[in-house]
Amino acid sequence: MREMLKMIFVLSLICGLSGLTLATVRQATSERIEEQVMTYVQGPSLKQIFSNYDNNPVKDRKTFDLPSGPITVFPAMKDGKLTGVAFETFGKGYGGNIGVMVGFVTDGSKLEGIGITTLKETPGLGARVVEPEFRDQFSGHSTDKIALKKQGGNIAAISGATISSTGTVSAVNEAVNIFNQIKDKLPTAWES
Amino acid sequence: MSRLWKEFSKGLWKDLPPFKLVLGLCPVLAVTKTADNGFGMGLAVIFVLALSNMLVSMLRKLIPAKVRIACFIVVAASLVVCVELLMQTYAYPLYLQLGIFVPLIVVNCIILGRAEAFASKNPVHLAVADGLGMGVGFTLSLTFLGSIRELFGYGTWFGMQVMGDWFQPFTFMIEAPGAFVCLGLILAGMNTLTNWQRKNKGLEAITGPVHDCKSCGMCATKPGM
Amino acid sequence: MDYFVLIIAAIFVNNIVLAQYLGNCPFIGTSKDSGVAMGMGLAVVFVATLAAAITWCVQKYLLAPNDLNYLQTITFILVIASLVQFVEMFLKKAVPPLYRSLGIFLPLITTNCAVLGIAIICQREEFSLVETIIFSIASGVGFMLALVILAGIRERLDLARVPVSLKGTPLALILAGLMSLAFFAFKGMAS
Repeated sequence: MREMLKMIFVLSLICGLSGLTLATVRQATSERIEEQVMTYVQGPSLKQIFSNYDNNPVKDRKTFDLPSGPITVFPAMKDGKLTGVAFETFGKGYGGNIGVMVGFVTDGSKLEGIGITTLKETPGLGARVVEPEFRDQFSGHSTDKIALKKQGGNIAAISGATISSTGTVSAVNEAVNIFNQIKDKLPTAWES
Repeated sequence: MSRLWKEFSKGLWKDLPPFKLVLGLCPVLAVTKTADNGFGMGLAVIFVLALSNMLVSMLRKLIPAKVRIACFIVVAASLVVCVELLMQTYAYPLYLQLGIFVPLIVVNCIILGRAEAFASKNPVHLAVADGLGMGVGFTLSLTFLGSIRELFGYGTWFGMQVMGDWFQPFTFMIEAPGAFVCLGLILAGMNTLTNWQRKNKGLEAITGPVHDCKSCGMCATKPGM
Repeated sequence: MDYFVLIIAAIFVNNIVLAQYLGNCPFIGTSKDSGVAMGMGLAVVFVATLAAAITWCVQKYLLAPNDLNYLQTITFILVIASLVQFVEMFLKKAVPPLYRSLGIFLPLITTNCAVLGIAIICQREEFSLVETIIFSIASGVGFMLALVILAGIRERLDLARVPVSLKGTPLALILAGLMSLAFFAFKGMAS
């Protein structure tokens, strides 16, 4: 019986100590990890979208509250002036969600471009949404009437990957919708 | 002092983990596509191995024999979680490259094997020396295998271009088959070397490391978790 | 149809040993005899499936709601270790014949990275519970297949004259490399 109690005591002691240590380490690192994830997952797509900026969009990100939940917005700035914003939305793909980073010019008149952040599509077909050929159709596109040709728009779908193309377009449209909700807050948000 | 050096240096050649003891094969094969991946994995293993040896040795009088394996697993797994968090903080690209093999350090036989076979029976300073030695040996082996595969597979070494324009990358080396064959040939080379040394001393040739689960150390601890 | 693709992909295309480099220690260590290989393979299928299903539930209902995802590794390995222990006790009491054939392999499985590996892959791929179970059975079968084939080859090699330096592990690894090359032919199928 005493042996049993000692076993239980030692085991719980070790587990407790390990839990405490891990929680501390986690607390100390969580902020930097979030930033690292943003830099390496969202960062590359931001580089594809914006060409003319001199800030670090990941570092300057701000979170806006929306009825549908908070959204993280990445700004592009040149000489301290906001030139564009980008944020991530999700569309339904063939093999799971497609994450699309959508960039806007500050006044919202047109898209700056899009970049794909996460994707689990069939290689060779749906995965081709990441290729410039498809992506570039969104650069400089006006924010209304974004649709595939089949639905009366002017975006050419990838042949053989209608679902992925539709998913991307719907993600972009959702982004436009969100943009309109936060449009008024944008110009003042990054003034310092 | 000499004892300390002995425990440290045995991991560098005499008991070189992957090539002589044939332990922890999965990461050896999986993360050695390039030299720097192998090196990064090795550093993570040094961290876990040295600290887990230290902690196990410190706690060895406290831990009841019946639950020792469970305790070792908790210690090793906590350290692995630390490594995961630290790697995400300071070396995120490496973390992405190594993928699931970072959490899998916890089931690397070397960690539990050394805890059971050495650290639980020896004082702290020797246990740390043993862990560091084994870890450094593991890192050197991984970097060596990674260098060979990267050199032939990409024509580069630690990302630097080594081969000239004439070089046609030998893709076989960076894929799974190349990993197996390459490791097999290195082990065969080690055996040849051992046998050559033995022959010079007038001893009979041996077949070298026989890998079965007994060498794991862990597996000999069947009863009582 | 999707499940079928998942099964084929897990057994052949992304074979857990030959393409994903998981579970190599038991792969080399227990492939000297095809009977032993079969036993080890079955034990892995059995434990990996149970472990993946249980860890899936743990992740979904315990870790994720409490924002404890960073504890995944430590929780999973503890769940697997206790599961193995429990299965061993259960088999010993309830199904002695099965225990006699699988029993000796069970303790080896705690440190088999294939089991923990499968559980983690299921999380990273964000599988549903059904997909998790199907994937882990198929992966286990893939492990068994590779193990039994290698054991068959090594049994025959006992009769061959092999250079002394290549005997044992080196040759087993080179054979594994050739098998892996053969399995490579499945790449591009069901991807």
